[in-house]
Amino acid sequence: MSNNDGKIRFDAIVVGAGLAGSAAAIVMARAGLNVALIERGQKAGAKNYFGGAIYTHAIGEVLPDYMDRRPPFERPVTEAGFWMLSKDGALTRLTVQGGKLASQPADAYMTSRALFDAWWAEQAQQAGALLIPKTTVLDVIRDGSGQVIGVTTDRAQGDVYAPVVIVCEGVNNLLTQKLGLIDHDLEPTHIALAFKQVIALPMDTIHARFGLSDDQQGIAASVLGDVSLGLPGMGFVYTNKTSISVGLGMMLDAVIEYRLKPYEVLQRYLRHPAIAPLVKGGQLLEYGAHLIPEGGYRDMPRLYTGGAMVAGDAASMVNALHWEGTNMAIIAGKVAAETAIEAHKRGDFSSATLAQYEECLKERFILQDMKQYRNFARFLETHPAFMDTYPSFINEALEQFFSAYGQPKKQLFKNIMGSLTSRRQFLKAVGDLLSMGRAVMGW
Amino acid sequence: MKKGDAFTVKELPQDLRESLPAVYVDDLLVSLKYFIDEKQSHLKIKDHAVCARCQYKPCLDFCPVSVYTLGHDGKIQVAYQACVECGSCRVGCPYQNIEWTLPRGGFGVAYKFG
Repeated sequence: MSNNDGKIRFDAIVVGAGLAGSAAAIVMARAGLNVALIERGQKAGAKNYFGGAIYTHAIGEVLPDYMDRRPPFERPVTEAGFWMLSKDGALTRLTVQGGKLASQPADAYMTSRALFDAWWAEQAQQAGALLIPKTTVLDVIRDGSGQVIGVTTDRAQGDVYAPVVIVCEGVNNLLTQKLGLIDHDLEPTHIALAFKQVIALPMDTIHARFGLSDDQQGIAASVLGDVSLGLPGMGFVYTNKTSISVGLGMMLDAVIEYRLKPYEVLQRYLRHPAIAPLVKGGQLLEYGAHLIPEGGYRDMPRLYTGGAMVAGDAASMVNALHWEGTNMAIIAGKVAAETAIEAHKRGDFSSATLAQYEECLKERFILQDMKQYRNFARFLETHPAFMDTYPSFINEALEQFFSAYGQPKKQLFKNIMGSLTSRRQFLKAVGDLLSMGRAVMGW
Repeated sequence: MKKGDAFTVKELPQDLRESLPAVYVDDLLVSLKYFIDEKQSHLKIKDHAVCARCQYKPCLDFCPVSVYTLGHDGKIQVAYQACVECGSCRVGCPYQNIEWTLPRGGFGVAYKFG
């Protein structure tokens, strides 16, 4: 991997062995490129974190035979949807199961990133990429014209050269800033702080508590209502085989300005009358926290420059409403890799050639969705009612609808309207719905 | 969120504030695996005088693993060993007064599940 000038050279360098990085390494190595996949953790996955569940369509696009390669999946997501918690302990579940969600292999699987990412990087190694763990990339190396030609690392004699560098460094976008692709840190207003506990429970207990018949059934729920103290945020519950993953994400500015201790907010959520019975008697396996770049399209950096491209969280490729991000990271990594392969064919790594990366992402759901949802981050900032007020209203409305009070039903509907308008003026509620439509449809 | 001297805090309604249980964060940290860099901290306070001027010191609360605590001398202490490298303080310190770098390769948190 080095030639006679003593410099360590590869055909391509990938920074970060996460979902985007290893996807890029797999695709390039399979095309015959010499790839260095540099990871700062003890092993791939050590620094990575999510709820969570991962989407198979993206994995299959990179490795069609992924199921034969025994990915460390937990349960498939066979039931997905929203849970709404009220302050007095009521729980409304709006979930879907069966149908498409029963297909094999499933659309999404629960997994642990520490295990999944290690497996994912292993696939890159098997394809021929060189995984270099325990190595932190400090900066990029440029030639006299500004073209990126390598990276410096914290290893002794740790400069590594390649005509193309794919930066998949994650949400803390230090290199992306050094590349000049974005000129500022992301704002706390546009970042979610997610924190969770992984809690061990016997398999039978999980089946009984979640209404699952075996370990090929699993639930992924977004939890709204009495979760985030009336502030922008959302909880989640995921069922693994012998553990559950329970946590929440809140906008970082709210956590800071309200001086919240994240672990206290989480503990409060775990003690909610609807959640406590699910986690009762469980043993804490791991607590942790991570940031999610939820600023959307407007927070995305430029995606390429001469000799370098950026993919995944570092490029804010997250669709907060649909909890997508892992799939975008994988596909963006793949597209960046295909662009690097094309650049090698042309022998031209200039920004004009790497522009193909962005052009291809425009053809895919990634940039189309990011653009359509460009106003969504701001929408949630200005409409926290969707995460708190309306879920609690839905709870109360359903409670009233399905209770027999011995009163004329005329009164029932008055009461239900009353529980809405006591929370939010009717016209404001209609306005909220319209703005949500605008934010989602990108009007 | 306003930065610098313009930063100000907001109050939760009292019933919500009181509904937050006290948590001993060390009970959570024991679940985490770390490779601790004994030689150097990847987190540094740039200027303690800025912290002294910071009225609300929100880092004492928002850090999800309570890296920042107030010492007997009134100075902010940095228990970088507990850091999970989330980056909240990097972007969240109202004065941008934290020099945040990545731990040296191989050091820092090593999630077992993640």
